[in-house]
Amino acid sequence: MSVLEARDLTVTARMSGIAVPVLREVSFRLGPGRILGVVGESGAGKSMIGRAIAHLLPSGFAITGGSLQFEGRNLTELRHRQRRELLGRAISFIPQGPLSALNPVRTIGRQFDEHLAHLGIRRREERRERALAMLSAARLSDPWRLLERYPHQLSGGMCQRVLIAMAFASNPRLVVADEPTTALDLTIQAHIVELIAQMQQQHATALVFITHDLRLAAHLCDEIMVMYAGRAVEYGPTRAVLSAPAHPYTRCLQLANPAMCPQGRALYLLPEQMPSLRELARMSGCRFAPRCPVATQECLQSEPPIISHAANHWAACIRPQVTLQIVAQPALPGAIPGAIPARSLLQVENLHKRYITARHMLRSATEISAVRNAEFGIAANEFVGLVGESGSGKSTLAKLLLGLEPPSAGRIVLDGEDVTDCSAHARQVRIATVQMVFQDPQSALNPRRRVASIVTQAMEAGRQPAARDERIKRAKALLSDMGLSAELAMRYPAQLSGGQRQRINVARALCKVPKILVADEVVSGLDVSIQAQLLQLLLRLRDEFQFAMLFISHDLSVVRHLCSRVLVMYRGEIVEQGPTEAIFAQPQHAHTRALLSAVPAEY
Amino acid sequence: MSPAVSATLRSGRVVIGLGLVLFLGMCALLAPLIAPHDPAEQNLLSILLPPAWSPDGNQEFPFGTDSLGRCILSRLIYGARTAMVVAIVASLGAMLLGSILGHVCGYFGGIVDWVVGRAVDVWMSFPPVILSLVLMVGLGTGLDKVIMAIILVDWTRFCRVLRSEVLVVTQRDYVTAARLLGFTHWQTITREILPATLPLLITLLSLEMAVAVVVEAILSFVGLGVRADEAAWGQMIADARQYIYQSPWNLLFPMFAIIIAVSAFNLLGDGLRRAFDVRLAQLAR
Amino acid sequence: MLPTVLSLLGRRLIAAIPILLLVSALLFCVLRVLPVDPAAMSLPPSATIAEIEAQRREMGLDRPLALQYLIWLQRALHGEFGRSIHYRRDAGALVAETLPATLELALTAMAIAGTLGLCGGLFLFRLRGTPFETLGDLSSMLLLSIPEFLWGLILLFLFGVVLPLLPFTGRLSPSFMRPNITGFLLLDTLLVWRPDMFWDALTHMALPAVALGLAFSPMIMRVLRSSLFDVYVEDFIAQARLRGISEMRILLAHALKNAALPTLTLAGVQFGFLFGGTLLVEIIYSYPGLGNLMVDAVRNADLPIIQTAGLAYCVAVLLINTAVDSLYLVLNPKLRER
Repeated sequence: MSVLEARDLTVTARMSGIAVPVLREVSFRLGPGRILGVVGESGAGKSMIGRAIAHLLPSGFAITGGSLQFEGRNLTELRHRQRRELLGRAISFIPQGPLSALNPVRTIGRQFDEHLAHLGIRRREERRERALAMLSAARLSDPWRLLERYPHQLSGGMCQRVLIAMAFASNPRLVVADEPTTALDLTIQAHIVELIAQMQQQHATALVFITHDLRLAAHLCDEIMVMYAGRAVEYGPTRAVLSAPAHPYTRCLQLANPAMCPQGRALYLLPEQMPSLRELARMSGCRFAPRCPVATQECLQSEPPIISHAANHWAACIRPQVTLQIVAQPALPGAIPGAIPARSLLQVENLHKRYITARHMLRSATEISAVRNAEFGIAANEFVGLVGESGSGKSTLAKLLLGLEPPSAGRIVLDGEDVTDCSAHARQVRIATVQMVFQDPQSALNPRRRVASIVTQAMEAGRQPAARDERIKRAKALLSDMGLSAELAMRYPAQLSGGQRQRINVARALCKVPKILVADEVVSGLDVSIQAQLLQLLLRLRDEFQFAMLFISHDLSVVRHLCSRVLVMYRGEIVEQGPTEAIFAQPQHAHTRALLSAVPAEY
Repeated sequence: MSPAVSATLRSGRVVIGLGLVLFLGMCALLAPLIAPHDPAEQNLLSILLPPAWSPDGNQEFPFGTDSLGRCILSRLIYGARTAMVVAIVASLGAMLLGSILGHVCGYFGGIVDWVVGRAVDVWMSFPPVILSLVLMVGLGTGLDKVIMAIILVDWTRFCRVLRSEVLVVTQRDYVTAARLLGFTHWQTITREILPATLPLLITLLSLEMAVAVVVEAILSFVGLGVRADEAAWGQMIADARQYIYQSPWNLLFPMFAIIIAVSAFNLLGDGLRRAFDVRLAQLAR
Repeated sequence: MLPTVLSLLGRRLIAAIPILLLVSALLFCVLRVLPVDPAAMSLPPSATIAEIEAQRREMGLDRPLALQYLIWLQRALHGEFGRSIHYRRDAGALVAETLPATLELALTAMAIAGTLGLCGGLFLFRLRGTPFETLGDLSSMLLLSIPEFLWGLILLFLFGVVLPLLPFTGRLSPSFMRPNITGFLLLDTLLVWRPDMFWDALTHMALPAVALGLAFSPMIMRVLRSSLFDVYVEDFIAQARLRGISEMRILLAHALKNAALPTLTLAGVQFGFLFGGTLLVEIIYSYPGLGNLMVDAVRNADLPIIQTAGLAYCVAVLLINTAVDSLYLVLNPKLRER
């Protein structure tokens, strides 16, 4: 008997009086001890499955059709108390943001103890033993001291291990992991995934692994279900789905993923983005058809039924045979990283940045070295990647380059001028030469300004701000360069999608065509297909506008597709630098090797 | 009409609060026209009369008279004038002083922030009632002195709250972006930060007006407020206290007046705060 | 934890010294800029100019301001706070006599406000989602709009005049002889074991304390409610639900402690205001505390008492703030170690 079985599961939301389907007729079966990967971009409905299992849907959302059965019991028909019996015991959850998933004012020990008491272990001694055993099994060192600690004293990875320990403490028969590694560093991600796999094997638990990362799912899961716009568009054993995908979306997703797209090929570009819930309500026919490269008139008429391919492998497409014809285009010559280095635009010599923490009563002040001995150069039109984990100092380096903080020692030479001292003259040089594209599109755009005002903000500064007509003209030109329609000019940022906002971010930085762009994790929060669009956009813009870029990222595969040179940063120092392919082929430094090995191997 | 304004006006609390405030404002403005008598006119033959609807009441004095024969209704209406003048002028003054300092401290930090912060600490170690009393001792009595005392006591509240808000807004990337694009400090503050703190400012202003009405009433009650010949609700209460057995209405009317005025400002402030929160949620969607 | 609390207290003590100096200097300056002449006020109206001048010299009003302040400071450090012009007694002694009454009243009122605030906040939070939510919100706002002196008058009217259940003048019925051991009447009456006197003192304190408590609890209620709302959208609450923990337990064991932190900060500020509000309540109920002393001093331009009493109020507020901050430190583990 399957542990979890969904049959035509449908979840609907009520938005302004209209019933909008969020999950449509999703069916799958999960056997005991098996791992199912639920893969999809944001808005596809994958998290909704986890919520449906727990029956903790947001207000206005309800299960309106189909069934969801756990070991033969219908989860939707359970009463509140019966469901609470199951949650935490037979069904456990591993959350996405580990640091915020634990009560900040209670110790780890107290929370674990409460959980074990809820599971029915009566004696305190027994609970303590079990907690220590589980924490050790999660490979946490010194579990005795850990029990006395508070969540804010632990790192993200350690918190996640605690949560995994708590999830498996009850010997559950089903564990639902909703994006458990998204908020963590790359090297930590690999360890956490290993831990989950190990625990799953030990306890023979069935696991639902929800993720946006196709490669991660490929590494871990037995079966994969690909979600698009609330519907499961493909389902099958991992190897089969990835080597011979039946649905065009799966194929496009593979080719748009920089880690899975073959070298020397441009990332596959899917136009626009997944339809929003409101748009979905108005569509008919295959929801993917508007973006599908092989769609025909028939696809738009009615929603494709589930067609079985091979044993246990089906897809919701009426033309699965043409899917493998979708191929990535060869990368354009100008777009291939490896341009001939021209004159040096930015030169950094011996750069240091030290922070002094505040003095406290009797304790003396301590010094933290955020950046040590940084030395590198960027030539005109060169795209250079800066790779490092959180805490490596890459953001600090960006701040030093932009003049947001003065360096403690060293020199920065920008376009021939020494700008180390952050004087007024240095500031003028910087404004004309260097601009930044920020990571979080939410806080990077002033919500009270219209798009046209944001992209031409550079024209508002200075002694002679430009006239309104001039600015609107320029705004429309910039928008079209970014591949956005001119009608977005009068909108507010809140009315745009994440990908569109990020393009506005880029447009604003390019308004006065600086010579160097510093991009700080600009694709980190984006979906794979949107990410691909933005990366190709950057390459195209370079040809048009002629600028160099320092591309900061923690994602090596993205850097590989974009940059001709790479700098690897570890604990404030640049430990390795060189041409991209050389670094990937023969990494010299131990940390570089660690980063490369953390990228999950394919099945 | 901008979407923000129309969203705000749709809120029930704002409408009712604003309506009450405007009503009081009208009373204050049109006092000489709508008050049946001169508030200082004493009618020693008709003292402590109950309201007109009581058996002993007199139509000529709708709400009755006080211990010196002065018409309660007229004194209430002129008292509204005092309350509204104090509320508006004092809160605006406190807002200007407090928010300018708050913005400067939050944005620039440094030594100015430290000095102002210490000043605020010293100020706030006084209970406001005590501080205003002491200031009135030093300044003397009168309407303008009351306004000055309120400004000098309450600026700290604006300063502290706005400073925290400015600190949060300054952390946002779009403020950094503005600086990188070449905005001067002045341009950054006026075009990026101020629009973000304006909603909070307006909400605090409304709440401050409620506080100002209460402080004026307290000072008049203690005898350190406006001059004895001007009508003020607090003074009416102080007078009526002695005659609480004979004429309880003298006490109740000004009490209700104060409660209604303060509720109106509080309701308006609360409604504004909610409307701005909704707007913020929409902007950040 | 204890060493951190002690170090906080130590730091506060050291930081309080400059604040108190500045406060006393501020009071000093404000009071010397008077439109009235305290020398003339302290003599009968028939005094000659020469006599007034002599009085001025005796009071030290002819010297420069800074010097006057330093003289005052030096005397204050020895415990001499000047002589009251009106009462012709030592100002410090007068303040010390009346302070316990105010403290007792304030502490009782704080307990009432805290309890009402906690229960009210939880109750308002329970109303969420029900049709009574708006009603509860508007009611708490109406209560919020009634300042403490109006509450004092309302309660006096309702329970002193309309339904004469409780006394509303003074601390103790005139027929009783007041025991004077600590100055805290409730304690003293128990120490001499006179339960009837204890009850009498309690009933006298009931109306003023409840008035203050009612005035300052609505704000605490509202902030607790909104803090609970903020906490409930946090991830760890959702995670607790996913572990199958009951809603009641989530509220009391998980959410409340987190929501208590911002509520505590606000309660501290409110208690500072409450201490100032005792002045008004004492006027209304003729309660012989520091407030009445202060008001009399203000009316008589009795500078030494205003100065000393003002200083006493500040010390009280600083103590309240320190106590609240220590409690915050105890409850919030993030602040404990550096």
